Amino acid sequence: MNQHPSSVLAGPVVEEEVHLTLIELCRVCRVPEEQVLDWVGEGVLEPTGGSPAEWRFAGAALRRTRQATRLARDLEINTSGIALALDLLDEIEALRAQLRRVAGGGR
Amino acid sequence: MKFKDYYETLGVERAASQDEIKKAYRKLARKYHPDVSKLPDAEARFKEVNEANEVLQDPEKRAAYDQMGANYRAGQEFQGPPPGWDAGFEFRGRGDERGFGTAGDFDASEFFETLFGRHARQARGQARGAHRASGEDHHAKVLIDLEDAYRGAQRSISLRMPVLDAQGHVTLEERRLDVNIPKGIRAGQHLRLAGQGGPGVGGAPAGDLFLEIDFNPHPRYRVDGRDVYLDLPLAPWEAALGATVSVPTPAGSVELTVPPGSSAGRKLRLRGKGIPSAQPGDLYAVLAIALPPADSATAREAYAAFGRAFPSFDPRR
Repeated sequence: MNQHPSSVLAGPVVEEEVHLTLIELCRVCRVPEEQVLDWVGEGVLEPTGGSPAEWRFAGAALRRTRQATRLARDLEINTSGIALALDLLDEIEALRAQLRRVAGGGR
Repeated sequence: MKFKDYYETLGVERAASQDEIKKAYRKLARKYHPDVSKLPDAEARFKEVNEANEVLQDPEKRAAYDQMGANYRAGQEFQGPPPGWDAGFEFRGRGDERGFGTAGDFDASEFFETLFGRHARQARGQARGAHRASGEDHHAKVLIDLEDAYRGAQRSISLRMPVLDAQGHVTLEERRLDVNIPKGIRAGQHLRLAGQGGPGVGGAPAGDLFLEIDFNPHPRYRVDGRDVYLDLPLAPWEAALGATVSVPTPAGSVELTVPPGSSAGRKLRLRGKGIPSAQPGDLYAVLAIALPPADSATAREAYAAFGRAFPSFDPRR
């Protein structure tokens, strides 16, 4: 069912145009504040601003927080494990990107 | 509907202990978790593994499944359970969030639902006696073509969204949206569509819809952030003597000057021809040397003459 048959929806690109507060990030990713505080403490997320009330998360934190949330929930990984897993996944992604740059590199 | 052998899915014997099942599940869940695995069918396999675990980790469900499934093999046509098959068992479906899905819900197969019923999906933000609550934010993935990111595009997407019916049951409803894909968007980025998420309660605003963008695999281009790579085959004489060749880019063909003495694997950069934006990416042509086939007397003679012209050339030194 299409509620807006004639209009074309448009919206900002989160990573380029949006900064999120702690409350917004928790709402969007459906994750409790304490969890995000833990992840910031562990360096998984790096907001700007001094106190949690002033924190601003770059748009890219959305993807990272969702990834962390899924891994924590599905595989029951604790905070330091999440930090390690995301660092390793970043490293694997960087290596995959390097592979893609050479001729015939697999996707 | 095919019968599903949950033991086979987890790779355990029918006599496996609960401990062995848990261990096998954990191992496969890590292996196929869609955030970890890049296998094209990782998400589907992860769901299968979760479904198998959902049944086998629960002693009651496992016992009922065993009793019903003793005479079935995986893939066999399944007629549905005999009446009263679950008499005497008490199913305690897990109400907590599990599994990989847009709403974090457990995404069960038809086979599972025939046996154990629709998983109790709680519409979050609805219950809890709240009089006024903002709608929840929804997430979905959208596949676009690389060309869409070069030009901007309008895409029709369909989403399956959980909605509450009058009786308070959750059903999945197909919803079609026309979305503007802005020029310059990259894989992994999100579009935020305000007010397109779940409905609010008591006059509160609806949630937002977040669309994660990914590119369809392209037969010609590889994408790395804003940069785009393609393989550019050259004839040996083009690579050796230099040439001006036409390179197809997602925005149309451009002329590229290949300098003399170019070797295979060399990357020639077309500045600013990657994904466009305020800081556009670059397009890289990765050179490859293609040899013409030696399939005629003339061709063989040409190769022989080629060889005679370089008596001291040793490619292995």
